[in-house]
Amino acid sequence: MVAVASPVKHAVRAEDVNLYYGTKHALKGVNFAAPSRQVTAMIGPSGCGKSSFLRCLNRMNDRIPGAKVTGKFEVAGMDPYAKNADLMRLRRAVGMLFQKPNPFPSSVFENIALAPSLHYGIKGSTLEGMVEETLKRAALWDEVKDHLRRSALELSGGQQQRLCLARMLAVEPEILLMDEPCSALDPISTGKIEDLISELSKDYTVLIVTHNLQQAHRVSSQLAFFMLGELVEMGDTEAVFESAQSEVTRDYLSGRFG
Amino acid sequence: MRSGPTNFMKKGRVIDWIMERLVAFCGVAIGLMVVGMFAYLALESRYAFDRKFPYGFRIAAQPVSAPRSEAVEMDPNASILTSHMDGMDGLDDKESIPMPTLAELQGVATLATGSLVEGDLKNIDPLMLARDNWQSWHDAGGQRKFLLFAFATPEHQDKSFVLRWEPDAAFDADLSVHNLRLKLIKAPVGIDAPAVDIDLRARPRGEIELPVFIARSDDERTQGYVFELESTPTGISAIGATLRGFFKTEWAPTTQYPRYGLMPLLLSTVIITILAILFAIGPALLTALYLSEFAPHRLREWLKPIIELLASIPTVVLGYFGLMIVAPGLMATVGKAFGMESGRSLLTAAVVMAVLIIPTIASIAEDGLRNIPRSLRDGAEALGLTSTESIRRVILPAARPALYAALLLGFARAIGETMIVWILSGGTPAMPTGVDALVASTRGIADTVGIEMANVEFEQPHYGHLFLIGLVLFAITIVCNLLGQRLARRAAWRS
Repeated sequence: MVAVASPVKHAVRAEDVNLYYGTKHALKGVNFAAPSRQVTAMIGPSGCGKSSFLRCLNRMNDRIPGAKVTGKFEVAGMDPYAKNADLMRLRRAVGMLFQKPNPFPSSVFENIALAPSLHYGIKGSTLEGMVEETLKRAALWDEVKDHLRRSALELSGGQQQRLCLARMLAVEPEILLMDEPCSALDPISTGKIEDLISELSKDYTVLIVTHNLQQAHRVSSQLAFFMLGELVEMGDTEAVFESAQSEVTRDYLSGRFG
Repeated sequence: MRSGPTNFMKKGRVIDWIMERLVAFCGVAIGLMVVGMFAYLALESRYAFDRKFPYGFRIAAQPVSAPRSEAVEMDPNASILTSHMDGMDGLDDKESIPMPTLAELQGVATLATGSLVEGDLKNIDPLMLARDNWQSWHDAGGQRKFLLFAFATPEHQDKSFVLRWEPDAAFDADLSVHNLRLKLIKAPVGIDAPAVDIDLRARPRGEIELPVFIARSDDERTQGYVFELESTPTGISAIGATLRGFFKTEWAPTTQYPRYGLMPLLLSTVIITILAILFAIGPALLTALYLSEFAPHRLREWLKPIIELLASIPTVVLGYFGLMIVAPGLMATVGKAFGMESGRSLLTAAVVMAVLIIPTIASIAEDGLRNIPRSLRDGAEALGLTSTESIRRVILPAARPALYAALLLGFARAIGETMIVWILSGGTPAMPTGVDALVASTRGIADTVGIEMANVEFEQPHYGHLFLIGLVLFAITIVCNLLGQRLARRAAWRS
């Protein structure tokens, strides 16, 4: 990617974030910034807080009893935790892809069309065109164009995940949050998703949590390493892989623990 | 030697082995119990088909000069029928009396008929006329012949008399397996009588005039007219006729000609159940939705068991609750508008039945809603759907099989319910036709079995029919339960 000579714009910015689950201190003073239209990978051992952090950004932690978040946030130009925050607007601007594909138990078409028709009142042929375009962007159109009315649950795991990705794109978000999107997929499906991520980073800011260091290396340009609820290190992916500042990061990247 | 762990393993294996067998045994035992119960019901139902079919016609002789209003009692099952002859009726069961002598008839009657269902003409001596219990009429298809004698005493003035026949009011020839013919098999000597051969199915009522035969002595009493009610099979088997009767619309098992029509009972039961489901569906689903989607965790922990506890209220308690509160309440409100005669009606039973099944439906529906995986809710939430949108467009559709299962299991619970219907429906086995039937007294299948089984004569058609309707009910509940369980299992989410 050619470096553009303009000041780095951050789509996600978080300062001094603390997250408590009841008495458990899950995130400790995290300072994080993800540049616009780049892929930021978040790595770290299990339970390090990377997924929790991701879920803070679109307030998916709200439902968990006893969860409490402090700190300053700016996500897609909004403060998710402001008193007058519009949660629905935030979530339209911030899409999320989950570990396991979670298509709705309805048709392929319905899966994509549901949110746009509810949010923007799109109907009829406009809606059909939108569904087609979205499926094409998720590289799924050729596989499902002949059975849009079939149940989404009949698709393979990889297809389901791409469907969920298309469903997320259909809401026209700015930021895509991905929580280990390939952990339930086979290598070929994983490859397709990774290709998509690179493709999508031209238009979207992507934050991806992954356990797979190679994947982080392949898809991301920024890397954040979490450990025990702290953001240990953050920087250009290449730079961190080559010469991490912190010894813990080096140990983790070299596979000494994990 | 590391015998310790090995022994432990062995012991564990033995327990496993026992547990496996025990579980398998219990499963098989329960399955066998259901099959066995079904088989038992089916077996006892055979008495429903073990039936006799009555003559059902009344035949009598009547003087032409006597007023019609003094027409004789016409009953082929009563063994003696004489015109203007008092004191001959009212015999006890199985009591036999001799045919009245001319001397006995003097001053009492001038024309006599006597029927005899036993023996044949040749060995009638002395002429004993038997009268059976009115409830157990003679089998028209049996070995015994139904013979009818007609003679007049010397005091009789008319030249001819009338032979009349008509079916009993409650007799339905359609439900019989016999075709009956009324035949003159022996005309008195020296009297020019026309041939009499009448198909009673084609001509169920009518009369003919015949010349009078005067018996000059007691011996001549049997020398007069002798008619026979001849029965020939219609081709319908007893099973066919019973089934035909079973699908009729009248349940009157203790009348002279019993009717075992299932339809009024089945229809009442189904209508009560469907109404109960309709009443219950709103409150139950709202409760389930509230518990699974909106109630704070703590509150749910309390409410769920309480609601499930409601499902275990003894139904007799609910019945009396209905009798004390719902019945007067309905009388005061709906009753006035629709002309309810009593607080005990189909509607009352349906309302209380709804109270019974709300907890069942709510609890199963709530399980179904909570089984919708977290990931699906997350997916809907992450797309920016409001909670109403997410419930309406994602969660409810996903839970649909579970909700159907809840309704079906509620249906199965209600349709077999005995006590509530027994106490609250009023107990009249009437066909529920029209809107009026909703506020009228009715009776369902289960409560009918409950009410009548206590007084039924063992191993008789009535007894058999109670088992037969029980079998129908059992079959319905089994089908509903199996379907419901299957739906519930399919609803248990796999993702």
